[in-house]
Amino acid sequence: MKNKLMTLLALLMVMTLVLSACGGQAEPEAPAAPEEPAAPAEPAPEEPAPEEPMEPKVVTFAWTQEPDSLNTYYSDMWFADILGQLFHCWAWEYDDTNTPFPHLVAEMPSIENGGISEDGLTITLKLRDNIVWSDGTPITSADFKFTYDMVMEDANAVNSQYPYDYLDSVETPDDLTVVMNFAEPFAAWESSFWLGILPAHVLQPVFDAEGSISEAEWNLAPTVGCGPYVFEEWESGSFMRFVKNENYWKGTAKIDEVFLQFVPDDAAQTAALSAGDADLGTFPPLSDIPALQDAGLTVFSVNGGYSEGWFFNMRDMASPGAKDLVVRQAVAMSIDRQAIVDDLLLGLSVPANTLWDAIPTYVSPDIVPWEYDPEGAKAMLDDAGYVDSDGDGIREDLEGTPLTLIHGTTIREVRQDIQAVAQQQLKEVGIDLQIQSWDSDIFFGSYADGAAPAVGDVDIMEWSDSTYFPDPATEYWLCSQLPDDENPWGYNYFTCDEELDALFQAQIVETDPAKRVEIFHQITKYMHDNVYWFGLYVDPDMWIVNSNLTGVKFSGVTPFYNIMEWDFAE
Amino acid sequence: MTRYIIRRILQAIPLLFIISLMLFVLMINTGDPLATMGGRRATRPEDRERLSRQLGLDQPMHMQYLYWLIGNDWAKIDMDGDGTPETPGTRKGVLRGDFGNSLVSRGKAALDIIMERLPNTLILMIPAEIIVILISLGVGIYSALRQYSLIDHTITGLSFVGYSMPIFFIALVSMYIFGVNFKRWGLPYLPTVGMFDPKVGKTTSQIILHMILPIFSMTVITAAGYSRFVRSQMLEVISEDYIRTARAKGLPNRIVISGHALKNAALPLVTIIGLDIPLLLGGAVVTESIFAWPGMGRLFIDHLSRSDTPVVMGILMMISVAVVFSQLITDIIYAWLDPRIRYT
Repeated sequence: MKNKLMTLLALLMVMTLVLSACGGQAEPEAPAAPEEPAAPAEPAPEEPAPEEPMEPKVVTFAWTQEPDSLNTYYSDMWFADILGQLFHCWAWEYDDTNTPFPHLVAEMPSIENGGISEDGLTITLKLRDNIVWSDGTPITSADFKFTYDMVMEDANAVNSQYPYDYLDSVETPDDLTVVMNFAEPFAAWESSFWLGILPAHVLQPVFDAEGSISEAEWNLAPTVGCGPYVFEEWESGSFMRFVKNENYWKGTAKIDEVFLQFVPDDAAQTAALSAGDADLGTFPPLSDIPALQDAGLTVFSVNGGYSEGWFFNMRDMASPGAKDLVVRQAVAMSIDRQAIVDDLLLGLSVPANTLWDAIPTYVSPDIVPWEYDPEGAKAMLDDAGYVDSDGDGIREDLEGTPLTLIHGTTIREVRQDIQAVAQQQLKEVGIDLQIQSWDSDIFFGSYADGAAPAVGDVDIMEWSDSTYFPDPATEYWLCSQLPDDENPWGYNYFTCDEELDALFQAQIVETDPAKRVEIFHQITKYMHDNVYWFGLYVDPDMWIVNSNLTGVKFSGVTPFYNIMEWDFAE
Repeated sequence: MTRYIIRRILQAIPLLFIISLMLFVLMINTGDPLATMGGRRATRPEDRERLSRQLGLDQPMHMQYLYWLIGNDWAKIDMDGDGTPETPGTRKGVLRGDFGNSLVSRGKAALDIIMERLPNTLILMIPAEIIVILISLGVGIYSALRQYSLIDHTITGLSFVGYSMPIFFIALVSMYIFGVNFKRWGLPYLPTVGMFDPKVGKTTSQIILHMILPIFSMTVITAAGYSRFVRSQMLEVISEDYIRTARAKGLPNRIVISGHALKNAALPLVTIIGLDIPLLLGGAVVTESIFAWPGMGRLFIDHLSRSDTPVVMGILMMISVAVVFSQLITDIIYAWLDPRIRYT
């Protein structure tokens, strides 16, 4: 009996050793030596000991979400897209003030330099003449045209065709000129076009052979790139490596290797950063930030365009209270946003007033932010006839219906905390807030899926969102986006307001920047005063960085725009 | 025995079919893979409609199951949205070994994704299981033979402490003590996350070093539970008449324990270990997440949260097959260990 048990254990042990050996096979690869025929063993002549090579400079990122694809057109994950500045290249990038600067193009197109036609229907890009892929192949207008063709090709099933579906055509009169033709002026071009150029010389043969690039090896292993680093290795669930691009046309990065360690657990990320096992982390639990600062790490709070807020459902199926402006204004006056920021976010943000707070140019200067004023809210509700007639602490309307609102959000911890706080604060003014939460993939489901926000089962929806940052455009409040049986994918879960719809339609085609700013002043003032969106707090991108790293700057749009200047202090 | 095995395998086929159908229905109803495809922003309606059609998510559930089961290379897909299917399907279906492509890691076969992670999970789980068995046998037998002694009470107390602690707590505490604080105090320390140090490379010694904390976290709880089980089994067996008879015959205590008591006490443990085998494949969700170990548990959670049906179904079916066959193997081992058991 004992022998048999021992045999079983021995078998398991052998299996482990075999697996361990398999897992350990991927030793760091030495530079490939040319293969030579085996020679008879001879005593090697004594040679002077080679100088010990310098240890490569490796910066380790603790990456809490593993990218799904490295082809930006097959991924909309923030954690994938922001890697673009390592190995991909954009026509223009953004600096730490979120201002665009030309990258592949020689200058930003404008009406003044002739890059944008007077009627706004043509945008012409002039490319630099010294830009090359990491394999030395020149980057030309053909790569831009190929990118456009691949995004619009049905067989490729890319994640989003925005904004390329606004284009009529792309022309390439010569290797360094790209002409974008629109049927109508498209004001939001700068923030959305050419966020990653595909290498035609690598992917065109794949497309020709397969009829699609959906399964191209390059999507998961883009060994030819055009950033300061080039993809080297990706082990699913474990790590991703980028090494210095020796052919980078802007120069050479100071750090040799960028190593992404996938660490899905927030607490583990904090431990790895504290222990020095990682040099950079993102979005730590806010409560861990003081400890991380105590451990000598630097915190960067970067404006990425996002704000957390409440979207009000004012469609027919919503509760009567949600459709009543007085109630919405009373809600806005009953929530102590500063206390939420101070207590739940440890004072690391500020209350948001509009969805456009991250781009203040577009926010009306006439807006008077909602102040926390529960007594004023009570008075407003009293005047509107909402009184607690049965003494249960909850007001009723003139028909005797209790003033109840349903609040729905995702299961993110801070959102559930806010729900609890808001429920208490609204109860103090006599409003009953019923709270619900779902997983993201259920909460953000479509009307066809029966997701609660889409079908209107909730009156207030909370999440963090942005415009097409840094552009102010958004399509959320367009009447054409209302979801119903005919339009099950629509994502205007809020209201169809024809006055607002007209303003949003006007900004899409307004190419005069000053006039467009004026339109957004009207939009922001109108939405704020009508409490269509009630901001809770500005939701910045949080970066935790090893203090030994020098030259670190972050953009809210292209975070790693200057990574080639990063270095370790001596 | 051969006929028995063949019969069990044949019985497993309809069982697995029913399991696959139930899991598929549950999976399709647990979320929308397109809902989170827009990243931090909501997916644009135009893109949602197009992707739904191109990825076959607009098909009725029974058609999606059929495509998953037998493939769609006999059908056509409307890729261009003109209402007429024109592009031949390429999927072969599970019955022909094609679990489909991941909806998250587009272009990557679900089976490839699973097979990349499986060795990592087994590297972690098999040693953990072996250590658990050795510790629980040793501690359980020792504790049973010294019932109500100080050592027995101490072991019992520690077992209950270990068993009642949640694994995330043990994992994080051990990480902070042996990874963060030991380094701060200038003591030899253990790595916190990952499978290896990028500055050193993926060597066997690095992997073993990075396995210590995850295995420690997993074994504390399981060994605590199993040792209680072994102890109670041993206590029951050593009070049996045949043990008394063996002792009366003058057999040395070592032989009585190892040759007679353990033999009978271990049989129920084999059943439990048999049930553990499928769990080995499923990985340890919490441990793998905390220690950033690239195993099956994390893969499952990552893809479940994004409703990636091909990958999740692949993992669930692999575990289902393992459950069915591990039970068969357990029965065979039972017969091997205990000659009285015969299957017909």
